[in-house]
Amino acid sequence: MRSKFLVVLSLVLLFVLTVNTVNGVGAEKKLRVAFIYVGPIGDYGWSHAHEMARQSLIKKLPWVEFLPPAESVPEADVIRFIDRFVREEKADVIFTTSFGYMDATIEAGKKYPDKIFFHCSGYSRSKNVGTYFAELYQIYYLNGLMAGALTKTNKVGYVGAHPIPEVIRHINAFALGVQEVNPKATVDVRWLFSWYDPSKARMAAESLISDGCDVLAFTEDSPTVVTVGEEYTKKGKPVYTFGHYSPMQKYGPNSCVSGQLVHWEVIYRDILEKIRRKVYTNTNLENVDYWWLLKEKAVELGGEFGVPINPKFIPALKDKKITDPVFGKISVYDLVMKRLSQMKANPEKFDPFTGPIKDQTGKVRIEAGRRASHDELWNMDWFVSNVIAKIPK
Amino acid sequence: MLKRYKNIGLSFLVIFLGLFAIYLVSSVRPDIMFRSIALSAFGSIYGLTETLTKSIPLMLCGLGLSLSFRSSVWNIGAEGQLLMGAVGATWIALYIMPNAPKFLLIPAMFLVGAICGGMWALIPAVLKVKFNLNEIIVSLMLNYIAIEFVNYLVYGPWKSPYEWGFPYSTKFPESAQLPRILDTRVHYPTLILALILAVILYIILYRSKLGYEIRVIGDSIDAARYAGLDIHRVVFLVLLLGGGLAGLAGVGEVAGIHHRLRVASGISSGYGYTAVIVAWLGRLNPLLIVLVSFLFGGLLVGGDAIQVSLGLPGSTINFINGLILIFVLVQGFSKTRFSTIKRRGGK
Amino acid sequence: MNFIIEILKATIPAGTPLLLGALGEIYVERSGILNLGVEGMMIMGAISAFGITTMTSNVWLGILTSAVVGGGMALVHAFNSITLKTNQTLSGLALTMLGLGLSGLIGKKYVGVPLPNKLHNFPIYGLKNIPFIGPILFDQDPLVYVSYALTFIFWFFLFNTRFGIELRSVGESPEVADSAGIDVSKIQYLAVFIGGVMAGLGGAYLSVVYAPAWIEGMTAGMGWIVLAITIFSLWRPERAIFGSYLFGGIRVLQYKLQPFGISPNLLNMLPFIFTILVLMLAAKEISRKRISAPSSLGIPYFREKLL
Repeated sequence: MRSKFLVVLSLVLLFVLTVNTVNGVGAEKKLRVAFIYVGPIGDYGWSHAHEMARQSLIKKLPWVEFLPPAESVPEADVIRFIDRFVREEKADVIFTTSFGYMDATIEAGKKYPDKIFFHCSGYSRSKNVGTYFAELYQIYYLNGLMAGALTKTNKVGYVGAHPIPEVIRHINAFALGVQEVNPKATVDVRWLFSWYDPSKARMAAESLISDGCDVLAFTEDSPTVVTVGEEYTKKGKPVYTFGHYSPMQKYGPNSCVSGQLVHWEVIYRDILEKIRRKVYTNTNLENVDYWWLLKEKAVELGGEFGVPINPKFIPALKDKKITDPVFGKISVYDLVMKRLSQMKANPEKFDPFTGPIKDQTGKVRIEAGRRASHDELWNMDWFVSNVIAKIPK
Repeated sequence: MLKRYKNIGLSFLVIFLGLFAIYLVSSVRPDIMFRSIALSAFGSIYGLTETLTKSIPLMLCGLGLSLSFRSSVWNIGAEGQLLMGAVGATWIALYIMPNAPKFLLIPAMFLVGAICGGMWALIPAVLKVKFNLNEIIVSLMLNYIAIEFVNYLVYGPWKSPYEWGFPYSTKFPESAQLPRILDTRVHYPTLILALILAVILYIILYRSKLGYEIRVIGDSIDAARYAGLDIHRVVFLVLLLGGGLAGLAGVGEVAGIHHRLRVASGISSGYGYTAVIVAWLGRLNPLLIVLVSFLFGGLLVGGDAIQVSLGLPGSTINFINGLILIFVLVQGFSKTRFSTIKRRGGK
Repeated sequence: MNFIIEILKATIPAGTPLLLGALGEIYVERSGILNLGVEGMMIMGAISAFGITTMTSNVWLGILTSAVVGGGMALVHAFNSITLKTNQTLSGLALTMLGLGLSGLIGKKYVGVPLPNKLHNFPIYGLKNIPFIGPILFDQDPLVYVSYALTFIFWFFLFNTRFGIELRSVGESPEVADSAGIDVSKIQYLAVFIGGVMAGLGGAYLSVVYAPAWIEGMTAGMGWIVLAITIFSLWRPERAIFGSYLFGGIRVLQYKLQPFGISPNLLNMLPFIFTILVLMLAAKEISRKRISAPSSLGIPYFREKLL
């Protein structure tokens, strides 16, 4: 029995060795890149978007060997997956794509100083661990402008996944947009404490609707909220929605106004090309932090790629006119387009988080004329004044 | 005798059918799967240390459960008891005595963690004795409550001001972190503690009056009543001890691995449930449980490997666990201890 | 008023999977068998209904499959506990683990897949215009109406037919039933199978009607709550309907209570805390009314002993 096991073991080792040497014969050694996902690839949200990006790069970057990704990796176990990728699969670069992986990624960086790690959505870095994020707050602000224009009840709802700074920031940006167009409207929030749970999302959305909300945005990795909006709209009680992360307009052609879309491949491509050119090495990532927005084309406005606003809603948005201190009398549609092109071309000109911004208690959080710093955005644990929900404490 | 062989045949049939189901669904051959599991769990020094790390919470929870199963008390709440132990340890390390020296702080964490786990297990005990409530359902409900409680703490009152609003507690001070063997994750103080406790439990079970009472009650409630044993006292004791042991496992996880409290799914990926099988496969014998927990630690480690190398989902291991439990059941392991025949006969 | 109607209307679908499961488990326990594998059978029902519906675009075919799969899993338990007479608690736990694991394995490719077809609400003409009750009870999906009918059928059969009498007598005293010429194991097999069918339907309701989506582990403890409802209902189908909607209502209320600033995590505990409280209430009632669980519950019946 034992000798059989040893035979098997040595055979496997031999096999591994041969395979590795055969691979090494090629001209350029391919960069071996691994991805670790927190959710299932099919979740139609966060992990799905990363996987789409990975797949789109397989053809474009022939000098990269993309290893099969690990999905649904629990936070508690990620270090073993990293170990496995480094030791068994000989990965050179590992992307860890959940904030819960932060500690483990830093630990892995110390353990494997000659490898390169990139952690998505965290804030800890070291000489071989960089961070990156495709940020959506500009898009949420634009969605908020439309929401403010479309609500008739002056009650806008938001289904939030977890009360962490990222989601709070997005709710605030959305609420700032609503406020700019419709100062009377309020934003209410329900928390799911789950990134992916359609039945919870349905209950939360229906609860918001029964409280009078007629426009909904959300952070949850399924098109449930859009589907709910479509059902109500078809029944004759219009509820407008904004898709999240993936193209969701097809789930609610009569309800989905616009949404947020992400292009992770832009960031991954940049990182990998810089690693190839030795711009990034295992010693200089201490300050490498991608924070990419509209300008870098890492994010896109729309419920469908290439469709910033569902054409069904363009007339309504053109009809709604407001007075802007800079542009004068302007339709919400034009305002959205102006802001979009501003933030695309030169975000220095306009940022949604420019003071004066007050929180719910009336305290000025960002003084007039000042812009929220990167750290303030990262750390956000307060709601702007027109949000009526509370952050769980 | 013939029946015994029939059962063995049947139990292997169960395993065979189960593996065939995996093959049908994923087209991964069972031999390849098990080779991958075995190689990654036991095939290298690194794999062995990870297996050992995973076996620590399984061992402690399994030992705790074995006591109550012995006395026919169905505690399925080790998962929640583990989490409450983690909460207790965090409370001591961050809020009660963060500045204490290591030699005081660590024992205090283990002590309070054990107390918290034990207290959590007392709830089903009290409800069983006072209201005659089914301890299975109560202890299970308490698992879900404990999960939400841990999440409440890390999203609410215990959320660290230094972690940018993420749901983490503050990192433990160095004095609250358990030492590990070299650069592995084996937090050996917990391991040593578990091994010592296994021996102590063995002695209690087979050499003490309490152990005798536990075994009598487990074999037949009626016989125990007839012999005038204080059944309630034993129910309280086995749950308290079992919860305490699971609590220790929780202390080990936060003090040895994570060094902070985090969301429940980050602390335990179901050790408390796997431990039920560990306890039964170890035939409720503390020394056997030590061995079996090492095997199941390997199964958990191998579970990751088959995800990366064969693309099987993590739930495959749950399925295999269920198969093993049925295997044990059909073979009749469980009957030797939990004999309902006698109970009926006593009437 | 509208507010109350909206909550109650949402309560019924939230309670329906529990009701379906509890009706079945009542029969199982009435026959003297304890099946703790409800969670496992429910989740297998959920994935099989979802898978078949995705493949065939036929929701009813999916629902039918879930019933067969649930019943099939229950037969494993029946074989363990009736034929092999193994420990019923462990067998039920094993069933739960098997179900959770296998459903994850099968369901991997269905995560995030949209359902091609779902059951739409089907307001019943006339009845839905009854004030207050109408919109709550009769503006639901067809499977909810099926659950109303099943509650009646389960009640009727249990207390008014020969099968019901046999079922109850087997659970109370298999020896007496046996000597009266009732085939004890046949009745028990049938009851356990019915329990599985119902648990499967409960799971199907979750994945193809309620969510509708497949999420790994989507039953999230509902199977255990079903067991609590079974006790709370004192093993009577007509009482299960109240227990189930009570729990459904609590789930709905969670989101209604969030705006009052209570931590959502604490609200999430409610169904589980409530389960324990309800069990305590049931225990009081059981001792007051001197009702008891079917007296041979969980104890294997050995025919040889009689001879």
